[in-house]
Amino acid sequence: METLLQILVNGISTGVVYGLFALGYTLVFSVLGVINFAHGAVFTLGAYLTYLLVGGAVGSNGLLAGLQLPFALPIWGALPVAGLLTALVSLAVEATAFSPLRRHQAEPLLYLITSLGAEVILVNLLQIMLGAEGYSLPTTALDPLPVTLSLAGAQVRTVQLVLLVVSVLVLAVLTLWLEGSRGGKALQAVSEDATTARLLGINSDAMIRLCFAVSGFLAGLAGGLVGLSFSIPGPYFGINYGLKALGVLVLGGLGSVPGAVLAGLIVGIAEALVPGEWSGYKGAIAYGFLFAVLLLRPRGLLGRTQITKV
Amino acid sequence: MSGWSLLIWQMHNKWQHKPQTMGQPGGIGQRGGRILMALTVVAPLLAACGSRPGGSGSTDTSGAPGPLPIGTAIALTGNASVIGQAQRIGLELAHAYYAGKGPALALKIQDGGSDEATATNAFRSLINGQVVALIGPSLSQQAFAVDPIADRAGIPVLGPSNTAMGIPQIGPFVARVSAPVAQVAPLAIAAALKLNPRIRRVAVFYAQDDAYSTSEAKIFQQVLNKRSLKPLTVQKTSVSDSDFQNQITDTLRRHPDLIVISALPSDGGNLVRQLRELGFKGTLVAGNGMNSPNIYRICQRSCDGMLIAQSYSPEAVTPINQTFLSLYSKAHGGAIPPQFTAQAFTAYQVVAEALAALKRSLPAGSSLAGLPRQELRRQLNAALLKGVYQTPLGEIRFTPEGEVIQKRFYVAQVHMTADGTSGRLQLLP
Repeated sequence: METLLQILVNGISTGVVYGLFALGYTLVFSVLGVINFAHGAVFTLGAYLTYLLVGGAVGSNGLLAGLQLPFALPIWGALPVAGLLTALVSLAVEATAFSPLRRHQAEPLLYLITSLGAEVILVNLLQIMLGAEGYSLPTTALDPLPVTLSLAGAQVRTVQLVLLVVSVLVLAVLTLWLEGSRGGKALQAVSEDATTARLLGINSDAMIRLCFAVSGFLAGLAGGLVGLSFSIPGPYFGINYGLKALGVLVLGGLGSVPGAVLAGLIVGIAEALVPGEWSGYKGAIAYGFLFAVLLLRPRGLLGRTQITKV
Repeated sequence: MSGWSLLIWQMHNKWQHKPQTMGQPGGIGQRGGRILMALTVVAPLLAACGSRPGGSGSTDTSGAPGPLPIGTAIALTGNASVIGQAQRIGLELAHAYYAGKGPALALKIQDGGSDEATATNAFRSLINGQVVALIGPSLSQQAFAVDPIADRAGIPVLGPSNTAMGIPQIGPFVARVSAPVAQVAPLAIAAALKLNPRIRRVAVFYAQDDAYSTSEAKIFQQVLNKRSLKPLTVQKTSVSDSDFQNQITDTLRRHPDLIVISALPSDGGNLVRQLRELGFKGTLVAGNGMNSPNIYRICQRSCDGMLIAQSYSPEAVTPINQTFLSLYSKAHGGAIPPQFTAQAFTAYQVVAEALAALKRSLPAGSSLAGLPRQELRRQLNAALLKGVYQTPLGEIRFTPEGEVIQKRFYVAQVHMTADGTSGRLQLLP
């Protein structure tokens, strides 16, 4: 029982982050029908910004060696501020890598290339400015909360619970906004059919920008949470999470918001269920599971069948 | 990035063959294809922007006068970039220090990435650039892929941080300045048992996708078995992992007294932090790959007390180490250099001193540049393996096979400051 609880806590706390990250991909995919490869870099940037905002100093390798902000925010302030800053960066990515192509009605493939270029530039800028060193948010960031808690015999890091609670809150707010607000419904209309939405008076371009901003906020927040829970191993760590989140996106069903959350949880728990001795193969097992599901249900768990008029 | 490129290329092919269903002008596909091709070419250039390639001088041709080109391919980007960036500093310090002290050398630094494919491209490019010798790559995993290329081309290649078993055996032109894991790893286990003779229950963690960590973990397990300390569990991780909670909770259920870790600084530091946070209070032994001040920022207070086997100690009182410490300190605001920087400095020093010795052995009136390039490389390899070098690592020389013979190794214990923001390695007697 204790072991099962431990596995569930580990799996769910990892899975919600996958879900949060994959939601950013999902939102952009749902309105543009393309994958924003720069999302992984925005996630990484969110982790670095959170680190700097809580008072972290840059190491000795980058151009900004030794930089430390003159103020330090508590983690509760740093996470949303980092999210807002990454939302701005995501808007900049949209303006440079997506908007010009959209104006020229370019092929979807070209969005992939330009967003990949944006990712490469962002990641390398991070390395040039901040160096390749790894960073961790201060272990005191959650003070006065204890480092670990014992739940029915299972040892749980408090940060895992924080991650879980924050992610669930954000997902709930996002769902409420999407389902219950005019902006959310307008976004859904654009994702259904941008041309029809425009004819109905919805500013599709504004909605797409909003979508990128929300996606950037989610990526930055997820990055900050992962940085808080584990560490920031270097400018490239978002790429690995990005690959995992892409798997989650596909498993949940391309463009499905609840699908991304469900798939994130499934992948997180599937990884946690891998026995210790086989832990090196947890990626293979998670992707094997994804492969099996897609063979049986190619549109993903909650994806809709695409009907194309020919 | 190669994975992304492949994915995109496959998607491009798919779309090129897909019927136009969206009423787009037919020309867009062709135009898009051209743009795609252009971008495919541009993407690797963008990727290179983070590597800030260094070096001086134009492409040298065989026998041409001018500085002799020394090529180096290290991990300036990717998961192992923390190692490569530290090595770059060591190489640049050595290049500046040895300028004017022997034959003129041009240092050509290329990004070898953190994977085999990028290192292969970098090695091939440097070989095409007629380098006299190669320093690199950063990872043993990469060395097994690229050293045979240099060896077949007859170019001396010196590994600055390749410690896995079997590296010098790749070929006659392959040597290393980094002591093999078999020599360094057992010392840390011995030190742990000396500090706590009651250790009975041991667990091992290692990064299974890194040749160095795999090799070192084997040695650790052999040493533990010899001491009748069969590991309770051997947990395999990945260098790109950051979440180890499942492996840790699985391990802690077995109540180990000692946990031995073979990993690189980023993943290893992260693992240590999570181990301590999840309640492990026993002894921690880390392999040589974690011998870097970069771990302090990652595991913070959790690093405290960890034992690390070392092949470089900043506390060694030798003239060249004092010089090296002073050069590094001046360039980095009083900081203490990590082992990877010291090893890279040493690798350059060995090549520079071997070339100087070779120059002295030439008949009067001849020059190194006057030798045919292939002959110069062959003679350099022989001179390099014959020499004895006073380096920041201490006195080193080589076996005829290219294995480094280092006089002294160390075991240090990490002592962190109370706030966990910095630390130091204190040598154990």
